[in-house]
Amino acid sequence: MKIYSISVLRNDGGSAHPLAAEYNLAEFGYFQRSSVQEFMGFFSKTVAERTLAGQRQSVDESNYVGHVYARAEGVAGVVITDKEYPARVAFSLLNKILDEFIMRYPVEKWSGTVQYPELAEYLKKYQDPKQADSIMKVQRDLDDTKVILHKTIEGVLQRGEKLDSLIERSEELSSQSKVFYKTAKKTNSCCVVM
Amino acid sequence: MSFRDRTSEFEALVERLQQRHDNTVLERRSLIQHAAPSHERIKNKTEFSLIAAEIGRNISNTTAKLEKLTKLAKRKTLFDDKPVEISELTYIIKQDIANLNKQIAMLQTYSKDQKLGSKQATEHSSNVVVSLQSKLATTSMSFKDVLEIRTENMKSSKDRRDQFLLSTSDQPASSNYESLLFDSPNRSKTKTDSSPAIIPLESQEDTLSLGIPMLTAQQQQEQQQALMQEQDRYIESRSTAIESIESTIAELGTIFQQLATMVAEQRETVQRIEQNTEDIESNIIGANNQLLKYYKSVSSNRWLMIKIFVTIVFFFLLFTLIM
Repeated sequence: MKIYSISVLRNDGGSAHPLAAEYNLAEFGYFQRSSVQEFMGFFSKTVAERTLAGQRQSVDESNYVGHVYARAEGVAGVVITDKEYPARVAFSLLNKILDEFIMRYPVEKWSGTVQYPELAEYLKKYQDPKQADSIMKVQRDLDDTKVILHKTIEGVLQRGEKLDSLIERSEELSSQSKVFYKTAKKTNSCCVVM
Repeated sequence: MSFRDRTSEFEALVERLQQRHDNTVLERRSLIQHAAPSHERIKNKTEFSLIAAEIGRNISNTTAKLEKLTKLAKRKTLFDDKPVEISELTYIIKQDIANLNKQIAMLQTYSKDQKLGSKQATEHSSNVVVSLQSKLATTSMSFKDVLEIRTENMKSSKDRRDQFLLSTSDQPASSNYESLLFDSPNRSKTKTDSSPAIIPLESQEDTLSLGIPMLTAQQQQEQQQALMQEQDRYIESRSTAIESIESTIAELGTIFQQLATMVAEQRETVQRIEQNTEDIESNIIGANNQLLKYYKSVSSNRWLMIKIFVTIVFFFLLFTLIM
């Protein structure tokens, strides 16, 4: 499950201008990287142009899926991932990125390119959705807890078995000690005949 | 003659009185003036009241926006919904509430850092902070209510829309178009509560009244439907994920219950074992005592000695008699 690129584009009228983009092209061979990057940029631009404001879309393309979310303010975010990456995580990532972007850079700066170093961090962080997405993290913690609890319950069951065997043995001991006591008593006070 | 120089005390008293007077005056007037008190305590307290007043103003702004949002969210009509505005407003209000939270937290730490002179001043500042916090809490509660109302309305409007679309999908598109062209356009907008099993004429009326505000009702409905589906897919996936989390938590709850029950049952078993061991102990102690007594009696009984002697003599006599 990988993310290949995140990009933020400005989307006014019918055309889209990329404002910031980060790529993770480690998978591709060295000589293919530039063409792949261009292709991804073009893909993001096309998809962002075709998305209306306030709309989310996922576009399939050979091995990759592009998730795009266009906001009413005129920016759109595009995330290109492979097919296994869960769409929900991609959209929540887009939400977060676009919120931060809009808060940091007001409308005047939206021309040309913008330096947005957090994009690279986000790209790296979200490579593993189970770590980064809060819902998945909670789910994973809960599953771990459930496994631990199952083991605990098994331990408690074994403890119960041991306690049962302990009960038996202690009852046996109790009866034997009683016999011992009675014998001793008998020997002591009965039958004065040696 | 000896005298004490209490000028400094007098000066301190005067300053304190003046500071108190300044503070009450400042808090009554508006806060655009920058009174220049020389004492640092006064300046800090002025800053405090400045910040507190600004927070209060922001809270009132946010409440006003929230009221606007409430009005928008309460509208039950099918098409004047303005979802974009509502979502924008929600987003703005959310940001405002987060900002206010941060500001109040800052104010609280600020007031804690201050070494305000009198106990009353610290009490006053903490009271102000608490009241601001409670105002913010009520605002966020009402915000939450408004959001709930909004989701309910959206759900009901979606149901109505589905009902309408169900009824329109029964008709071919051309007949709708004809009804638009040929029927007279003066019909009122129908409110909902049409059941899906309606006769074709009524459904035509409904679609006609749907068609009045928009020209190509069918196409736009389809577009909106696609849009809503896409939105719904994302939102549905989120809701399913959260539901699975909820069910996992419920499972964990039951597991804990079972664990507690098992341990409680085992407590009974443990008590039995304890009793058994106590019985064993008492038995063995008693037996020990008996043996001790026996040993004592064996080792020190004169009567026993005589008996043994008599027995030996008896056997001796017996043997000699046999011989």
